[in-house]
Amino acid sequence: MTATTSAPPRMRSWSIFSRRHRTNTLLIVALTVISLVVIFPVLYAIFTSFRPKGFGLSRDWLAGGIYLGHYEQLFGTIRFLRQIFNSLVMSLGGAVVTTVAAAMSGYAFARFAFRGRTLLLALFLGVLMLPGLTNLIPLYKIASDLQLRDTYVIMIVIYAAYGVPFGTWVMMGFFKSIPVALEEAAEVDGATPFQAFWRVVLPISAPGLIAVFITNFVYNWNDFLTALVMLSSTAMKTAMVGLFDFQNQLTGNNNELLIAACVLIMLPGVILFILFRDTFLRGMLEGALKG
Amino acid sequence: MRQKTLFPYLLILPSLLLICLVSLYPALYSLFLSLNTFRRGERIFVGLRNFEQIIASANFWESLRHTAVYGVLFVLLTMLFAFVLAVVLNRRLPYTALFMTIIFVPWMLSEVVTGVIFRWLFLPGYGLMQDWLSPLFGDITFLGHPQGAMGVVIGATIWRTIAFAMLLILAGLQTIPGEVYEAAAIDGANEWQSFWQITWPLVRPTTLVIVLLLTLQAINATGLFLSITNGGPGRATEVLSVSMYREAILFFNFGYGAALAVLMLLINIVLALVYIRTMRSEVVA
Repeated sequence: MTATTSAPPRMRSWSIFSRRHRTNTLLIVALTVISLVVIFPVLYAIFTSFRPKGFGLSRDWLAGGIYLGHYEQLFGTIRFLRQIFNSLVMSLGGAVVTTVAAAMSGYAFARFAFRGRTLLLALFLGVLMLPGLTNLIPLYKIASDLQLRDTYVIMIVIYAAYGVPFGTWVMMGFFKSIPVALEEAAEVDGATPFQAFWRVVLPISAPGLIAVFITNFVYNWNDFLTALVMLSSTAMKTAMVGLFDFQNQLTGNNNELLIAACVLIMLPGVILFILFRDTFLRGMLEGALKG
Repeated sequence: MRQKTLFPYLLILPSLLLICLVSLYPALYSLFLSLNTFRRGERIFVGLRNFEQIIASANFWESLRHTAVYGVLFVLLTMLFAFVLAVVLNRRLPYTALFMTIIFVPWMLSEVVTGVIFRWLFLPGYGLMQDWLSPLFGDITFLGHPQGAMGVVIGATIWRTIAFAMLLILAGLQTIPGEVYEAAAIDGANEWQSFWQITWPLVRPTTLVIVLLLTLQAINATGLFLSITNGGPGRATEVLSVSMYREAILFFNFGYGAALAVLMLLINIVLALVYIRTMRSEVVA
């Protein structure tokens, strides 16, 4: 008896479930197609990088087989290695300075009331809205006048400064989430404010510090315009500028080698993103939707 | 909040120095540069002459038009695609995390890497996309055709930016509690109705904010233009930023370039102020 009365609603709910199930399956198929379309240029580039010279445009996909020569050649090219090294020094240098400076200023904004706090915070956030682009000409002129073009120092300072406003914002949010009682306890035990910050707060702030460091590293690594304007000697150029030069030198000549260089240069950003996906996504949201 | 006299200032000092040195001082310096002209290393004060020259130059209006065409098409199409993607991903289907990761890969590529790949895909005469897509567009050679080249840059920009726009829309969608939809479903609303009656009015403010962000990005876009078309064919894709780069860095026309930069900075500041006001009044409230 009870089985027969409860049967109709169960059937109805099953039919709703199956209709929704069908829509979901269709949507998953659609998303798969979209994802394939989006990732296709990257996969095609990786594929091209393994084809021998002159075979990149062949529509016979298997012609020439798998060829590792472009990568061997790149790892044997001093100029390429040197420019990768330059990119590493400048990106890491900038990210380290940004992280240290942003941790300090973020802590100040999160924990202290001081005269001018509101004004300074507004300044930091205002600078975040300024485009780096319109500063390129004056920076170029200043760096030329100071004979600082083609140096690691100028690039590290610029990258560090570009990362500071956003880094400060992220670190401020992070420090606000840590209970202030920790520092107060440390200061009762006789620690100075600096010791409380350095020995107590910083060690437990690793997630925030790592987020700022990694996003800035990738941002610096991918920077093109600043490096293009500030660096002109081949030995000091970054991998991005080197790639740009390479692209303009050999149109139609050794495209497969160019694509292989391009694949190697994109790897750090892509790998770090896949490893730290949530860090990047959260950072992007915080950076864009600040109040 | 704790009160310490000197300590917070010491903490802020390094950041403040960096910002002043690299962002504030150069912005003021470009204002100064824009009032001067440089001949053989000599600086000559010319007042507003650079700005007069810009206003009188056909090239300026042409590049402003290119920036506008690029910006409008890029923002509209990105918003459209991103919105659809966000609504679909918001259903929390299986594999959503995987789809998100894949769609975000282009955002992690630099402008030059994107440029190399797109130039390879649209290589005149031989590129894979050139082959596949040209029958749909009257057999043009994309990179040799004014509108075609602009189309490729717009396509590349959308490809790189769609995930970012989608993420922001998704964040807006997720602030809507599920109960609202359940209540609507009980009242007999179908999905189409509940989208237009519930979802759209609630995410419209977020949408406005994203449109402003993308517009700012469009006005300053430079790298993709340099690496895909370098402003060509002819000057068909020379946008404001590219013409600024050319004048100042390639032709050493610092005064004229700086004046262009000042104009672009003004556009940016106006948009940024609108952006901040919208954030305050709509999203936070």
